[in-house]
Amino acid sequence: MSIAEIESQTFTLETPTGGLWHEAWRRLRHDRGAIVGFCFVSVFVLAAILAPWIAPYGPLDQNLELITNGCCPGPSSEHWFGVDQLGRDELSRILWGARYSLVIGVVSVTVGLSIGVALGSIAGYFGGAVDNVIMRMMDIMLAIPGLLLAIGVVAVLGPGLFQIMIAVGVTSIPIFARLIRGSILSQREADFVLAARSVGVPRRTILGSHILPNSISPVIVQATLALATAIIDVAGLAFLGLGDPDPSRPEWGAMLTNTNEYLQVAPFLAIIPGIAIVISALGFNMIGDALREALDPKLRGRA
Amino acid sequence: MLRFIVRRLLLLVPIILGLSILIFLWIRALPGGPTQALLGERATPESVARIRHQLGLDKPIYKQYWAYVRTTASGNLGVSISSRRPVTTEIRERFPATVELAFSAMIFALFVGLPLGFFAAKRHGSAFDHLSLVGSLIGISIPIFFLAIILKYIFAVRLGWLPSVGRQDVLIEAEHPTGFYVLDGIVTWNWNAAWDATQHLILPAIALGSIPLAIIARITRASALDVQNEDYVRTARAKGMSPGIVDRRHVLRNALLPVVTIIGLQVGLLLGGAVLTETVFAIPGMGSWLAQAIFNRDYPVIQGGVLFLAIVFVFVNLIVDISYGFLNPRIRVS
Repeated sequence: MSIAEIESQTFTLETPTGGLWHEAWRRLRHDRGAIVGFCFVSVFVLAAILAPWIAPYGPLDQNLELITNGCCPGPSSEHWFGVDQLGRDELSRILWGARYSLVIGVVSVTVGLSIGVALGSIAGYFGGAVDNVIMRMMDIMLAIPGLLLAIGVVAVLGPGLFQIMIAVGVTSIPIFARLIRGSILSQREADFVLAARSVGVPRRTILGSHILPNSISPVIVQATLALATAIIDVAGLAFLGLGDPDPSRPEWGAMLTNTNEYLQVAPFLAIIPGIAIVISALGFNMIGDALREALDPKLRGRA
Repeated sequence: MLRFIVRRLLLLVPIILGLSILIFLWIRALPGGPTQALLGERATPESVARIRHQLGLDKPIYKQYWAYVRTTASGNLGVSISSRRPVTTEIRERFPATVELAFSAMIFALFVGLPLGFFAAKRHGSAFDHLSLVGSLIGISIPIFFLAIILKYIFAVRLGWLPSVGRQDVLIEAEHPTGFYVLDGIVTWNWNAAWDATQHLILPAIALGSIPLAIIARITRASALDVQNEDYVRTARAKGMSPGIVDRRHVLRNALLPVVTIIGLQVGLLLGGAVLTETVFAIPGMGSWLAQAIFNRDYPVIQGGVLFLAIVFVFVNLIVDISYGFLNPRIRVS
């Protein structure tokens, strides 16, 4: 072991804080926005997981007697959120719908994130012509308005829940690619990397504990925010008629859209799924915001 | 400065070329392709072959692309399959509607978002600051079409204060020399028409402007907070400059720089959001037209319309970049 390496080991031991993630977690626990966002997301995730047990009725159970006097009876003690135009319990459909929204959000963000991060890392790592080709491709994708791009992908792949997830995921590829490329490039030349290199910290350690943690945190923040966008975009596609081809499925965007014509007599049927979308998106946005601040290395050591 | 502009213009060439390739290939990837879109699903093989030959689809792909580039570059975007009208004519009619909508949405977002963010930063940590933060978070979490439906229901259907659909009342006689209905009313001295068109714009503009509003407020707040602590602001205050002038000349002006960049990026969001807003309010603009075209597989419309919008978007971003150079004193000097 060389002197430089021994020095580098004491160097790492002297770090006063407990690491980026440890400190981020400590700061998150004290952030009011993060706590509220976490509560919203927990309600959303719990509803999705527990729907079969806590929903008072099945999502497809129809009770046509309830709508014999016209559409649609509002909230009551038996049906907390009222009954929809086909005599189905709205609360149960909202709870089951959380499953679809959660799966749609997670899958589409995973698609965008994995492809985007792979492309961005290749571009940032290899540089030169590879970098140029990949990033110009991303520029072209960014030149098409996101929703139109998603509509276009659905048009090619055909209707279906999985196709929608891909379409929404594809629109976020260039954002992730740019983000990871940019941060890899800036980290590679950053002062603290130079400093670590000059005191002889091994390359593996530089990459693992200096470059990657600092490059990955904006991606995590963006992924959280992208979850919110994905839920909203999928609802938008459903509104345009490009959503789930199965109309009986309790997908929030479709529920909102299908009851649009009953807005005059039963506004709650559109408002309730709308609020469900807003709350879940808000939860992810709040967590994303708080994470961004908590993971910002410039703010470390404060508050 | 001139060199900077020329270089940026040259960089656009590969992007626009790439876009044309992407759109060209995408049309060919659509299930059924253009022939089926023209003839329907029960076409005989003979008629399919005839149409393919007529459209040049039996030629090698690079020749097809070259033919496409040549006709497009000469300004011919083809004829819409569903309306049988030239795509360029339709763009000329519909593009002003979308621009008018996006422009009013942006005006609304700026007029509310800038002061909101600026005063939130000035009263950092106050109840107003917290309220504006929560408000802007809700703003980016509401689906545009949901907000549009709710606004329409409350202000148009329930209260009857504002019109619910279209760009202008059908009973109003108006000329449209520019295609921008509010401007048309003003230049033809038809105040009635201008006022009516403005009323039709209010709800869609608020719905579409909600997201840029929230983003602008957040960015303005964050950058005003940064600028407030800069040395030059402290110097200006120390030499006894009045707080109003410091705010306007030093804080606001420098805080606006990131906002300008954000405005450029919002254009894509506005065009995407326009699809939804135009659908809710039945506005005959580019967005609802393109969404319909994708349903109908009206491929000349898709090809021409998407290319046109993307080029507009790229140019807007170029203009933003250039204005950024003018606004930022550090870049301006060098």
